[in-house]
Amino acid sequence: MTATTRAIHLGRQEKPKRGSLLLLIPGIASVVLLGVLPLFIVARNSFAVADDYGGITDGLTLENYAKLLDPVYSKTLLFSLGLGLLNTVVCLVIGYLTSYYIVSRPTNRQGFLLLLVIIPFWTDFLVRTFAWITILGSGGPIAGILGIFGIAGFSVIPSNLAVVLGLLYSFLPTAIFPIYASMRSIDPSLKEAATDLGASWWGVHRRVILPLSSPGILGAALLTFIPTMGVFVIPVLLGGGKDPLVGNLIVTLYTEFRNQPMGAAVSMVLLVLMLASMALVGLALKRSSTKRTTTKKTEA
Amino acid sequence: MDRIVNGIARGVFVFLYIPIVAVIVYSFNAAGTNTRFDGLTLQWYVELFQDASLMQTLRTSALVAVITATVATIIGIMFALGLARYRGRGRGALMALIALPLIVPEIVLGVALLSVFSTTKMPLGILTLVLGHLIVSLPLATLVLMSSAAMLDPSLPEAATDLGCTPWQTFTRVYFPLLRPAVVAAWLLSFTTSFSNIVMSTFLSGVGSTTLPLKIYSSLKTGLTPSINALGALLILLTLVIVLLVGVSQMRRILVESRT
Repeated sequence: MTATTRAIHLGRQEKPKRGSLLLLIPGIASVVLLGVLPLFIVARNSFAVADDYGGITDGLTLENYAKLLDPVYSKTLLFSLGLGLLNTVVCLVIGYLTSYYIVSRPTNRQGFLLLLVIIPFWTDFLVRTFAWITILGSGGPIAGILGIFGIAGFSVIPSNLAVVLGLLYSFLPTAIFPIYASMRSIDPSLKEAATDLGASWWGVHRRVILPLSSPGILGAALLTFIPTMGVFVIPVLLGGGKDPLVGNLIVTLYTEFRNQPMGAAVSMVLLVLMLASMALVGLALKRSSTKRTTTKKTEA
Repeated sequence: MDRIVNGIARGVFVFLYIPIVAVIVYSFNAAGTNTRFDGLTLQWYVELFQDASLMQTLRTSALVAVITATVATIIGIMFALGLARYRGRGRGALMALIALPLIVPEIVLGVALLSVFSTTKMPLGILTLVLGHLIVSLPLATLVLMSSAAMLDPSLPEAATDLGCTPWQTFTRVYFPLLRPAVVAAWLLSFTTSFSNIVMSTFLSGVGSTTLPLKIYSSLKTGLTPSINALGALLILLTLVIVLLVGVSQMRRILVESRT
């Protein structure tokens, strides 16, 4: 190989690499400038002092975090945590059963059933929420039917029951996709083998399907829990705004009270909870995979 | 036990479609209230299009969504192609970075951007809306494009280069035709993400740049009108069209296979 051909060769190998790095820049820059850096500013603002005009002064304080213990805030935080957990558990249980149903259909039917989940998933979030006002509201069909039986003026909206229903409706498809994804890769002969060996329905699920679909279940939990607490439309429209969630708190602090530092502190709570639950899920995934490999080893 | 599960699952599918059917049915209801059904009418649809302020918000939302989707798709194509050819270290970190906005609660991303714009005294309007919507649709667009770009045969662009194509020609004649279904999907998904966004818009819209979802939300606070049902039915129709345009198999790949 002569020096020139080697140079050409080297040149060709080097060039696409540098070119590909340039292609990555707009994407990286967008996420860093519009996502990562702004998050650092929120973190900084959560330690700042608010001035009287909706801005912030240079001060450094822990007061915003101390105020979170105030019943005004702590009540909402605890209520959101509870509602977030409740919604996650309900979504996971129903999502698990629905995924199991889809997986046990013939392959050509699975695509159609999945489409049936995809359509509501992509439907406008607001439409999905106000549809429940149409059904459950004071002028709706449910109230109409009750009216026939002499129960007049009854309405499920506003109530916390309607909020729970609205949250479930919004997050159920989100929970189904990852659970279905991991259930689909389970070898169906495992279920048959377990049944042949005498495992009951519960046994099959507890020892085979549930452990093997745990990555999807944990993923679904992550996609349900934190986003539920950040929701602010549903508590206002279906709950009448009586019991706000963390999302409502953030919106009110930023857009009505113009108290940026306090809003930033509340946002940080959400961010820290997100990181904590991600770490927890990561740990659980690691444990379940090491457990599986050690059982394999002992069996061998 | 399986029979009970089947029953529950069928119930779930009914549950998923009750609200959708209700909105569509009541959008044609001649009675002004949802308690009665007085026959069919198109009156609410007509009223919708006569509402000038609503049409203004529709124009704002469409403009923002078109710009957002186009920018997100272009950046997404670049990133997906760059990553497909990049063999160096940190590939996993780069993928995690681009997916980051999907994991961070959207409301936190919204206030984060608001903080930036209020510190830099940037007036809220179309531009801030586009930037906010961009950060939530870019990961989606990129993930769609990345899964398609990864399946491309790397020898194709090499062949094109050997045959004397410039990088731009390689892109327009080799990459783009092969990626076209993914490009269409990425654009449409970014478009709907932006068009129906309410969280980012709550913080980033300014005076005169109210988006359609914000308008719907504020009118819902005062009560549900039959016109809103008509609007909802149209938005459901839009969803159906987009899901079908993207294609069921591609939709499935995005929502199911990207999660395994």
